[in-house]
Amino acid sequence: MLAVDTAINRVRRDLTLTALLKVALGIAVVGCLMVGPEAVRIIGLLGIASLWLWLSLNSARGSRVAAESPLLIASGQFEEAERNIEQTVRSFSLFRAVKLQSLHHLAILRHAQRRWQESAALARALLGQRLGPLQPLSRSTRLLLADSLLEMNDLRGTYDALGALYREPLSLTEMLNLLAIQLDYSARVGAWQWMMQGAMSKVQLLELLPAPSSARAQSFMALAAKKIGRLDFSDWLRARAQLLADVGRLVSERPMLKELWP
Amino acid sequence: MESPPPAPFLDPSRLLDSSRPLPRISLTWWAGAGFIVVVLVTLLIGNKTARAQELVSVIWAGATLVLMGALFGFSFYTVKRFRSDQQRVERIGELVQLRRWPEAAVAVDQYLTSPARTHGFRAQALVYLSSVLARLHRFEDAIAVHNQLLEEGTLDEGSAATVRLARAMAMLREDHLFDADRAINELRRGPLAGSAGLALVEIYRDVKTGHPAEATELFEQKREVLRDQLGHRVADAYALAARAYDLLGREAEARSAFQSATLLAPVAELLRRYPEVEKLTGRYPLAAAPPEAA
Repeated sequence: MLAVDTAINRVRRDLTLTALLKVALGIAVVGCLMVGPEAVRIIGLLGIASLWLWLSLNSARGSRVAAESPLLIASGQFEEAERNIEQTVRSFSLFRAVKLQSLHHLAILRHAQRRWQESAALARALLGQRLGPLQPLSRSTRLLLADSLLEMNDLRGTYDALGALYREPLSLTEMLNLLAIQLDYSARVGAWQWMMQGAMSKVQLLELLPAPSSARAQSFMALAAKKIGRLDFSDWLRARAQLLADVGRLVSERPMLKELWP
Repeated sequence: MESPPPAPFLDPSRLLDSSRPLPRISLTWWAGAGFIVVVLVTLLIGNKTARAQELVSVIWAGATLVLMGALFGFSFYTVKRFRSDQQRVERIGELVQLRRWPEAAVAVDQYLTSPARTHGFRAQALVYLSSVLARLHRFEDAIAVHNQLLEEGTLDEGSAATVRLARAMAMLREDHLFDADRAINELRRGPLAGSAGLALVEIYRDVKTGHPAEATELFEQKREVLRDQLGHRVADAYALAARAYDLLGREAEARSAFQSATLLAPVAELLRRYPEVEKLTGRYPLAAAPPEAA
């Protein structure tokens, strides 16, 4: 298994090396244009162009390998995804985006493997980088970070990670994940009133989540409804959650939900 | 002069044609031609005098800069167009997911009216088009889109199987029972064998063809898979099971299944999806819901 620290250090080192290489090639191009006999200059330029092309082709190949990782993770093929990501992390790429995406994919993989601490470390390392055109990646990375920290019961860290997301435009999937994390967080800090604000809109959105996440989030809302005395709403949501997931599992994952199913 | 009549809204054959991606311009030929021009020009100038050599150097330097600039500009433009198309298709997907059908219909019609950037985006948008058409109960049109997508072979195995599943459901809605049965048998041999989606189609077929015992047996056997894979759409399975139990005269089970279905989805929505469930309304009570959800 690829160690998280190794992956982070390797990616950082490669990003520095790539930047240096680009600068060196740029200087070499200028040098070829200004210094030496004409034939040597042309050969030099062609040489640099060939090297650039070769590196670009190799990097594009790496990019294709990297693009397969999310599908492998989504289909539960963790070992293959691990191999894929390791290959991308360890191979040289001229493209900064490929290296950063490999860190992101590793964070997703560790999250899927429920290795929260490692997932959080990777997400933090990624957010510490200049993402440039990959800026949209920061939103899903922050969601990963918030969820991992919540699983580690780091409420302060979760609050900080969530805070940054409120200022960004989110896709529907990101919005749904954010809502699920918000409800989990709010239940832990007892923000029952907030949880029940615009309750029906929240419930309609939660219906779009996969069954286990939807059941858990609706259970949190059922708990909030119970806390504020809306027993009809609480019973309705509790019954829906029961139809969507195994109650024993819900309670074992979030013991506070035992209050709904004593 | 009379203006041409407006194109019919969500016309599958028009949209299938107009959305085909345009052939790509090959830049290699342009780059090659440019290189030859530069070589010819430098040969014409020659390198006999110091001034000629200097001029040749300037031309090469200029050509290199132009090439780099053109590559950068072209990449920037391509990526921008690609992202814009990607965002449009994602937006249509979100509207479909949010069941904002009128907006989804307008957006998908607009998107498919002009050539798509890639075959992948087009295929994805066509899948959304078929969902919108099915929602509007234009099942024949939806089947036409499904058939075209499968014939073109641009979908990966998983997506193709999902399209086959949607086509089988549309066939059932249009009472093409023989075709639907054949489609279901094909699906049983594909990647969706044993999936909740396939089980739901099979339950619907059994309800439609008057085999309620098979429908309830499958429902009971697959209950957990249906719950885990369908999410809130498990309401569909409960509604169909309720109808099957009712046909078998098992009223207690029919009542319970109908309550579960209406707990997870509004009854109007269930009736829209499965008109067969209409016979249960009034006979069995809906699930209790708070006033906000009623």
